[in-house]
Amino acid sequence: MPEIARRDFLKLVGVSAGGAAAAGCAEKVEQLIPYVVQPEEVTPGKPVFYASSCTECSVGCGILVKTREGRPIKLEGNPEHPVNKGKLCSKAQASIGRTYSPDRFKGPLRRDAGGALLPITWDEAIAQIAEAVKKSPAGVHVLGGDPGDTANTVIDQVVAALGAQRTTYIPFSGEALREAARLVFGVASEPVFDLSGADLVLDFGAELLESGPSPVEHQRQWAEARDIDAHALDGGARLVYVGSRLSLTASSSDQWLAARPGSEGVLALALAHAAVKAAGAASPHAALLSGALAKFDADTAAAQTDIAADVIRSLGAALARANSALALPPGVGVTSRRAVGANAAVLVLNQVLGAIGRSVTVSAEIPGARARAKYADVLALTKRMQSGGVSVLLVHNGNPAYSLPKATGFSEALAKVGLVVSFATAADETSALAQLVLPDHAPLESWGDLRPRSGVRGAIQPSFKPLYDTQSLADSLLAIARKVGGASAAALPAGDFHSIVNAAWADTDARAALQRGGVFAAAVPAANALFDASKLDVALPELSGSGEFTLLAFPHITLGDGRGAALGLLQEVPDAVTHVLWESWAEISVATAAKLGAETGDILTVTTGAGDLEVAAYVRGGIRDDVIAIPTGQGHTVGWYASKEEVGMPGMARGVNVAALLSGQTDEAGGQAWLTEKAAVSNTGRHRRLPMLQFSDNKRGRQLGEAVTLAALNGHDEHAAHHGAHEMRVEYDPAADAADEQYERTFQARGQKNVKASDYRWGLTVDLDKCTGCSACITACYVENNIPVVGETEIRNVRPMTWLRIDRWIGDGETDFMNETGRIQTAPSREKLGEVDVRNAPIMCQQCGAAPCEPVCPVIATYHNEEGLNGMIYNRCIGTRYCANNCPYKVRRYNYFDNQITKWPSPMELGLNPDVTVRGQGVMEKCTFCVQRIQFARQDAKNLGGHNAVIADGAIQTACQQTCPSNAISFGNLRDDASAVSLKADSKRGYHALHVLNTRPAVTYLSKVVRGPAV
Amino acid sequence: MEGARKRAPFDRHCVRSEGGARDTELTTRRGRLVDRMGSHCSPRRLALVTALSIAAGAVLFFAPFAGNEPASAAEPRIATSVCNAHELKAEKAKNPGLEIEIPEEFNRDYPTPAACKSHAAALRTDTDGAVQPIPFSHKHHAGEWKIDCQYCHSGTDRSRAAGVPSVELCMGCHEQFPAEYDELSGIQTLKQHWREGRSIQWTQIHRLPEHVKFQHQAHMRRGDLGIQCQTCHGPVETMDKVLLTPDTKWWPWGVPTKKLEMGWCVMCHRDNGASQDCLTCHY
Repeated sequence: MPEIARRDFLKLVGVSAGGAAAAGCAEKVEQLIPYVVQPEEVTPGKPVFYASSCTECSVGCGILVKTREGRPIKLEGNPEHPVNKGKLCSKAQASIGRTYSPDRFKGPLRRDAGGALLPITWDEAIAQIAEAVKKSPAGVHVLGGDPGDTANTVIDQVVAALGAQRTTYIPFSGEALREAARLVFGVASEPVFDLSGADLVLDFGAELLESGPSPVEHQRQWAEARDIDAHALDGGARLVYVGSRLSLTASSSDQWLAARPGSEGVLALALAHAAVKAAGAASPHAALLSGALAKFDADTAAAQTDIAADVIRSLGAALARANSALALPPGVGVTSRRAVGANAAVLVLNQVLGAIGRSVTVSAEIPGARARAKYADVLALTKRMQSGGVSVLLVHNGNPAYSLPKATGFSEALAKVGLVVSFATAADETSALAQLVLPDHAPLESWGDLRPRSGVRGAIQPSFKPLYDTQSLADSLLAIARKVGGASAAALPAGDFHSIVNAAWADTDARAALQRGGVFAAAVPAANALFDASKLDVALPELSGSGEFTLLAFPHITLGDGRGAALGLLQEVPDAVTHVLWESWAEISVATAAKLGAETGDILTVTTGAGDLEVAAYVRGGIRDDVIAIPTGQGHTVGWYASKEEVGMPGMARGVNVAALLSGQTDEAGGQAWLTEKAAVSNTGRHRRLPMLQFSDNKRGRQLGEAVTLAALNGHDEHAAHHGAHEMRVEYDPAADAADEQYERTFQARGQKNVKASDYRWGLTVDLDKCTGCSACITACYVENNIPVVGETEIRNVRPMTWLRIDRWIGDGETDFMNETGRIQTAPSREKLGEVDVRNAPIMCQQCGAAPCEPVCPVIATYHNEEGLNGMIYNRCIGTRYCANNCPYKVRRYNYFDNQITKWPSPMELGLNPDVTVRGQGVMEKCTFCVQRIQFARQDAKNLGGHNAVIADGAIQTACQQTCPSNAISFGNLRDDASAVSLKADSKRGYHALHVLNTRPAVTYLSKVVRGPAV
Repeated sequence: MEGARKRAPFDRHCVRSEGGARDTELTTRRGRLVDRMGSHCSPRRLALVTALSIAAGAVLFFAPFAGNEPASAAEPRIATSVCNAHELKAEKAKNPGLEIEIPEEFNRDYPTPAACKSHAAALRTDTDGAVQPIPFSHKHHAGEWKIDCQYCHSGTDRSRAAGVPSVELCMGCHEQFPAEYDELSGIQTLKQHWREGRSIQWTQIHRLPEHVKFQHQAHMRRGDLGIQCQTCHGPVETMDKVLLTPDTKWWPWGVPTKKLEMGWCVMCHRDNGASQDCLTCHY
């Protein structure tokens, strides 16, 4: 090699630098890639909606998949669907992330000897399974959750053709309620509870507003039944909550009975007893007093439930007086070994209240996977696997290796199975133990159907082509059965799963059904339902172990049975009660904390007979002293967001899986019992701050979450009215709108011509009386506005990117400033056992008329427009963050990183909304009132009505408003006196957040109405 | 991500980084705004000067030999394609003394002379504008055949995006044309794409950064103000290769803004009483 002299070297460097500069001096070229054949319905730039059904839980809400240029970008509720009527919960909103999950399998895989997953072709994989099946057909077992209606039938056919066996396992599947309905009414189906028209609702732990039997539907019905405008005098329906912790549902209730966990059945019968007694001899159920209800008088029950006898008696009397009362059964968290008795007791109470047939429909049994799901069957299967009786295990629609209690030994038993095949769409704990992975399509890529309840038949249709080399579960199973061959294979339906679904829908107008999202009719009551209370067997459950606390493993609102953990968005939307995110926590009472010497964030060791866990304490007043409550859903070891892979620790569990503390017991119906353990708790002395976004529930008298008593609202209580919300609103007066004047002055001063005052001033109202804190709005906002999921590290740095948060305050608070020490610490909880005074206040940019952020921006990146919007112009922003410092509502968010580009794993970026700019590093952002939707509606109106057309009221729905299950949010034009939002903003209850600052917000809050306890 | 993007033979522009602005479309990295005139570092100008110098040098060098060149024999010029035949015929029309020979297979009407010309012009690499995967000529389609812009860009009056026609739409006409058109390489490429079901990857000429939400429909509605496609896109119907025609507007204080720059947009909005609100385009 010739030597290069120093001078030559410098020359060369100079040349290459010049070359680099020249290369940089070229335009970045983008390409336009049109369709080969453009679908008729597609106009680039305009969304196309496909009706489908949500598969995140068993409710089966209708969804509309919004696609742009053929790519799903958002889910919205299907307004025609009778269950959710256009609304969706947080889980459904986030479920678009399943399609673009970084955990997805990109094709069939096999595990090699070293444990690594290697690609394999579909044919090879199917052949391998078929060979194993042929070897021992009797050892073939199919295990899974609910794949949908037709797919369920296909699996049955395949199982029959193979001579195999099948077990259905759904973690939260309501075995106890079905069995109770069979005992009491002779029909083993889950009754449908309808809150519309109710005036007194009892929730025995169903958590009807969060993880209950049909949360979206119940939130709407609850909000309508107590709409203060429709029920101005009496305040509408009252909600009484029975449970050991102040859950989200309890937070929205009027009265909280902090009964001993497991005593729901006793309390229900005691209330039935009291109600029948109060009704007197005229009651049609008077005979029960000496029969099934004989043992459950108020005094006996008081000792068992910790609820005072006079409360039981007066509530019973109130129930007897009520025109339309109903009770909801115990939920998952309080499913004890005596759960069937407790559920039956609640059904008996409903019968006594006359709710059966009116508010509670006992409908005919629906055949399907859910109806036959039984936890006890999995225990039997596990035994069979342990004894080597299973040669091929096909696992679909579920993650049993995660969700089953560790004590069942399922994961260890998997090792004794010859061939484990997983049909998972994305990597999970079960597929990590499988030898073959035959990935199913993501829900938005699948055909299918659902029959979630009587009268509802939901369609599932793909909204785009599968992203990867996947195949539907039914097609994979059919391929296996056909490959195995034999006489029985000939009986299998011909064609692929899509044609089988079409055939199943042949009795309907399938095209119309796909357009509407399904076929909907009223629920058909079971003809053979008879009331029989004689088989009631209600008693307090026995708990195993010797600890001093009762372990309450309650369903996490959004992570549910663990399915939600894989979605980064659900990890990043805080739990609405504790404001903890990305972690597990253990709720303990203030007294317990004092006894343990623990504070929030201290690591506790929780020990039961089945095992022990270390989990951070969350100290609160709203939990019984004898209970320690840990949410389900976390503790995954597989998955980008589900485990700690996202923070660079693959394989490390995020939070804890509370199932490790359960001994895996069943209730009387063979369902999984969650309330079975006594726990001992000790303080490790270690501390790690919990990732949280709100550190105090004391609003210190500031106008952030106001409440007004019913009496004050009706003018009966002058003193309260004076201190109520009435005077907090600055009347909106267009003539004196300082924002307008300021805007016009500014433009006149700059010599701009042709600036005219606008016809619009956009405004939003939030009815705190309807807000339950369910957080669906936050999730919808994330998806609509391309808000990045930033991950645990950034959340621990308290740098969330959310444009909308829900502040949770307990009462008005005191004006103390004891917590101002300059560092993040958690203030003492103001919750009190048995008291409900919770205000959930969604806080987004208030679009202030006199915005404090605007004058401090040195580059006018934030400014006020003539329509009253506080604009945030990303391309002007230089990132001084002065605006965020000056914002009194703290709603501005700063991009410390190029989150979507540097932090998001592929293919998450495919789900971005092309109508919203993705903000880059160094740019401030905040709620825009969904300005892209305003501009879209404006163009739409003008396309139809010409240049001078006005946007009709209701044509714009912000993402948060669109999804709000309780219709708490209104949006529209405040300059139009007849618009829905103007009428709302003029409400007596209206107030502006922090009105003393005179920021003249465009957001009006409507005070929560304190109705007082039901009795 | 980066691999998906190719450098195109685009030679006129210069790039500078813009601090606050972020161009963050799905497939892009950190945004860069483009100074579309790029006058101070234009390779085109350099190329022009170089070419002129070389030409001048060549003229000077070969001048002494000019007189000694032997006169060419009057051999007939034989057409090698239909297009070539059209050229020869045109030359003969100008110069009747020219001997030409046109084989029977090339003595046809199609492709038409205009099509041949536009096709050749769109293939030239020495003129302004990007060479596209298919030498599609707007001059031929929109100018000579007077096809309405919205026949192909059909989203223009109802959507934010004008849309680029699908291969199917191209084939809707071209499938019906005589097979002789296949002589043009562009038609062959088109048909190949159609056969293989592949989309055509055009190079984008009129590009706005992602933080600009231009609404085609809003501008199409205001034909009453004299706003036409050409107002922003230039006389596309006269261009074989579409390029960004230079246009400059002057702010009252004498600062020029170039076409498709924000100042250029705002001047027009100002003159026509349209919204000057930032949120109209930036959100």
